[in-house]
Amino acid sequence: MTAEALTDKVDDLYGYVQERCLWHFSSRSWDRQENIDGVLAKAGDMLTGREPVLESPNDRLQFAEAKSMVEDFRERFPWLREAGDEEIRQLLDGLKERLVDIAITQSHNRELKHHLY
Amino acid sequence: MPMVLLKCDKDIPEREKHIYLKAPDEDTREYLPIANAATIPGTLSERGCAFCGAKLVIGGVLKDTIQMIHGPIGCAYDTWHTKRYPTDNGHFNMKYVWSTDMKESHIVFGGEKRLEQSMNEAFDEMPEVKRMIVYTTCPTALIGDDIKAVAKKVMKDRPDVDVFTVECPGFSGVSQSKGHHVLNIGWVNEKVGTLEPEITSEYTMNFIGDFNIQGDTQLLQTYWDRLGIQVIGHFTGNANYDDLRKMHRAKLNVVNCARSSGYIANELKKQYGIPRLDIDSWGFSYMAEGVRKICAFFGIEERGEQLIAEEEAKWKPKLDWYKERLKGKKMAIWTGGPRLWHWTKSVEDDLGIKVVAMSSKFGHEEDFEKVIARGQEGTYYIDDGNELEFFEIIDLVKPDVIFTGPRVGELVKKLHIPYVNGHGYHNGPYMGFEGFVNLARDTYNAVYNPLAGLAGVDIRVPEQVAPILLREAA
Amino acid sequence: MSDCETLVNPSPEVKVSAKARGGVINPMYDCQPAGAQYAGIGVTDCIPLVHGGQGCSMFVRLLFAQHFKENFDIASTSLHEESAVFGGVRRVEEGVMVLAKRYPELRVIPIITTCSTEVIGDDIEGTIRSCQKALKAEFPERELYLAPVHTPSFKGSQVTGYSECVLSMFKTIAKEKTQPNGKLNIFPGWVNPGDVILLKRYMKEMGVDAKIFMDTENFDSPMMPDKAVEVQGQTTVEDIMDSANALATFALARYEGGTTGAWLEKTFEVPNHLMSTPYGIANTDALLRKISEVTGKPIPESLVRERGIALDALADLAHMFFANKKVAIYGHPDLVIGLAEFCLEVELEPVLLLIGDDQGSKYKKDPRIKALQDKVHFDMEVVHNADLWELESRITKGELKVDLIMGHSKGRYIAIYNNIPMVRVGFPTFDRAGLYRKPTMGYQGAMELAENIANTLFAHMEYTKDKEWILNTW
Ligand code: SF4
Ligand code: SF4
Repeated sequence: MTAEALTDKVDDLYGYVQERCLWHFSSRSWDRQENIDGVLAKAGDMLTGREPVLESPNDRLQFAEAKSMVEDFRERFPWLREAGDEEIRQLLDGLKERLVDIAITQSHNRELKHHLY
Repeated sequence: MPMVLLKCDKDIPEREKHIYLKAPDEDTREYLPIANAATIPGTLSERGCAFCGAKLVIGGVLKDTIQMIHGPIGCAYDTWHTKRYPTDNGHFNMKYVWSTDMKESHIVFGGEKRLEQSMNEAFDEMPEVKRMIVYTTCPTALIGDDIKAVAKKVMKDRPDVDVFTVECPGFSGVSQSKGHHVLNIGWVNEKVGTLEPEITSEYTMNFIGDFNIQGDTQLLQTYWDRLGIQVIGHFTGNANYDDLRKMHRAKLNVVNCARSSGYIANELKKQYGIPRLDIDSWGFSYMAEGVRKICAFFGIEERGEQLIAEEEAKWKPKLDWYKERLKGKKMAIWTGGPRLWHWTKSVEDDLGIKVVAMSSKFGHEEDFEKVIARGQEGTYYIDDGNELEFFEIIDLVKPDVIFTGPRVGELVKKLHIPYVNGHGYHNGPYMGFEGFVNLARDTYNAVYNPLAGLAGVDIRVPEQVAPILLREAA
Repeated sequence: MSDCETLVNPSPEVKVSAKARGGVINPMYDCQPAGAQYAGIGVTDCIPLVHGGQGCSMFVRLLFAQHFKENFDIASTSLHEESAVFGGVRRVEEGVMVLAKRYPELRVIPIITTCSTEVIGDDIEGTIRSCQKALKAEFPERELYLAPVHTPSFKGSQVTGYSECVLSMFKTIAKEKTQPNGKLNIFPGWVNPGDVILLKRYMKEMGVDAKIFMDTENFDSPMMPDKAVEVQGQTTVEDIMDSANALATFALARYEGGTTGAWLEKTFEVPNHLMSTPYGIANTDALLRKISEVTGKPIPESLVRERGIALDALADLAHMFFANKKVAIYGHPDLVIGLAEFCLEVELEPVLLLIGDDQGSKYKKDPRIKALQDKVHFDMEVVHNADLWELESRITKGELKVDLIMGHSKGRYIAIYNNIPMVRVGFPTFDRAGLYRKPTMGYQGAMELAENIANTLFAHMEYTKDKEWILNTW
């Protein structure tokens, strides 16, 4: 896949998360990171045919979030069905990078670093 | 261009940091309005105070609890008869308010005795009520009354009562928001975990940040009942005080209003390991998505799909009827904060409406991250908007309908723009599937209202006639 | 309908006392700053600046919007934590400048203190002096009146606050006597636009030139083709300036504006006539006669006719439908006393009068209350410092049986849940449409009020199927 094609596809996924999801905008940097990592890991499992681990309550939560997202991804982005495991990994890595960038690294939200809720 | 200095703000140029016009290819990495910052005096801001955030928004919703407001009479009078949150026990919460009615001598010599007397009187007068929240207000905080000590004493004297105290005078923080925070954190630290629930289902959750406006909670409760999910604590729509002491036993926290109640969800996660799921309960497709996520969490996906199918069969045709007629209409939203991001995309997706301007009274920067991510280009995003700004923005975006409170609604009526009550609703509930059809209906009735057209006619000018509005039977 | 009272009460008594409880359950009045804000909005090009937390003005704006279905401009200094600790005068200065710059037409700013800024002890008079300096530097040509209004809410109520702000604005703006203008100053008190319009009409019909303070006629304001927003008081700075030149002052409400009448007399020798508030026929008669006497203008035929029409209407109602009906009345003191007098004229029996603030020593000396003693043939109780629980608990405990409640909307649930007919009167009456437009004063007001009472009783008879057939023919 060309870099541009990859970017376009990541754009689509990113656009979806920005418009539909709330988990990357939780209250503090650390819980934003936790959600982004967790939900995308579960999404990766689902998209590559692995059974997601559902041990802790938080696993279940991230699974629930990822499940809706993956279903919508599949419906909205037909190209995803053709993607192989490696491409999925690249796409999700790209998505994660974008989400971390907007929600954490480059966020102007002055409350992200507060040590208390 | 993106941050905007309006003409009316030329003398208060700091306002530029609070008003954003979204342009193509921009996002919140570049521009984020400053929010939750002090209001400029004399601007005719829309904000209320921290005390109101605690009492009016959250605590005062409880259906079995005396709300004792320790201060002069105004704070009590003012936070009574301003909300529409019914309950299933005859609306005890809307019918009464309690004040210690502080007088000058109490200010001089301290008001603790007066508080104790008022608390005892309230319990004596309403012997069937055993729960109370005590709030400080500006003056009682300034004179330093120890309301916790008084509450302790009353609980000792009356073993069958339980009292919670909230110390957030109106001047603390910059808006209602501070009061939400103080109440959330106080409750989770002092009251959660002090009572055990009776568990009736293996699927248990808390529903957080919904206040039963016009029956929202009661409508959503029918879904949870059908899904077989036990709601342990409903924070705080139609809730009992004691329900909320049992929140530590739920398996999941579902959060609707993240601004007013995200704190307690966060703390429940930190202290008790209960995960937090944020959903939007306004909007047809959002509600379906919320139900799907909750059911996926519990592994009861089929039940969820069945509920969604039933609700869609019943309500989708109606929703689409309205969508057909509302497509392309322009809406402005001037409410508290979260409803901006809850609504902007849902009215767009479900009703074809374009939201052209939004102002938040007490949202934080997090709320602006959410709404700018979801909202459209060419739309204004305003923190703590004030009256002159509203006039100017209306001129710039020319909305067909404004979702806002009744007072601003009266103002925009003079400009021939219909309003729909974005706080207490016109004819709700607005949450859930049915609720969003109600919202669509009220929007339709507002937009297709013949009076605005008639208002524009100057009868001295013969050629002026009201436009013909084709209303159809819904 | 109640049973006919046949027993003669040998020694009917009027008992005046304060409520026994210290705390308040369901207040009847808001705090002092609320009343001050109401007075302030009665002046043209005036925006009150409330020095306190944002809630102290935000809720009051909402309250006015609820009652009048209009938006009024009121500003706040948005007192936050650091000002609460270190003093807030900077915020007053900033607020004044921001208002002056952004509202070029602005001419008056009453600076209204609240309980918090009174506790902090901000020096308002000193701040006004420094504001005036800054204003002179910025706007050398402009005269802006800044009136200090001290309204700590741990004293008095919205009633005293109203009076205080009227007085302060007069003290700030009124000028020495120059040319006698032959006009009357009329202080009707805190009344509806309907009453202001009625008083203006009466003066016009009598050929008397009069100024109503405050002239709130435009609080009922139109939707105009040009989208003009004209919701503000019509009392101008010039009207107040010129008040010392008046022929006489008529203070129609002892507790609302009465003090300003006395001040004009003391300071500028304008004769002050403190009248019984013109509710009912006899009080209106007395007012018109006095005005005729002072101005030398005869009472015109039109008012004699209007009086006759009112009497003709009242006569149809009084002894058939009203006689022996027991009534509870609550609200502002001048209103409650005046309505009690009106009730006696139409054979209603006002058995319980509730007045809601700490000014008991004044009420005990009120000659009108003393005079009631000679007029009643039944026992009457006047409770001051009362709350609405005083009424509700007497009813629910079975101590009091009334056939009618007269009062404002804050007591609506007492009527609804105890199945007692209720007529809305006073402030606020947000749960009935259009009442602000109707007069309660004068002959017309008495007639319309009586008809409202009758229709309310009739509707109640019909809903409860209680002798509803009596209206089979009437
Ligand atoms: S803080 Fe004081 S002035 Fe403000 S509303 Fe409360 S009682 Fe009234
Ligand atoms: S929904 Fe809006 S009004 Fe209600 S609590 Fe949340 S922020 Fe406040």
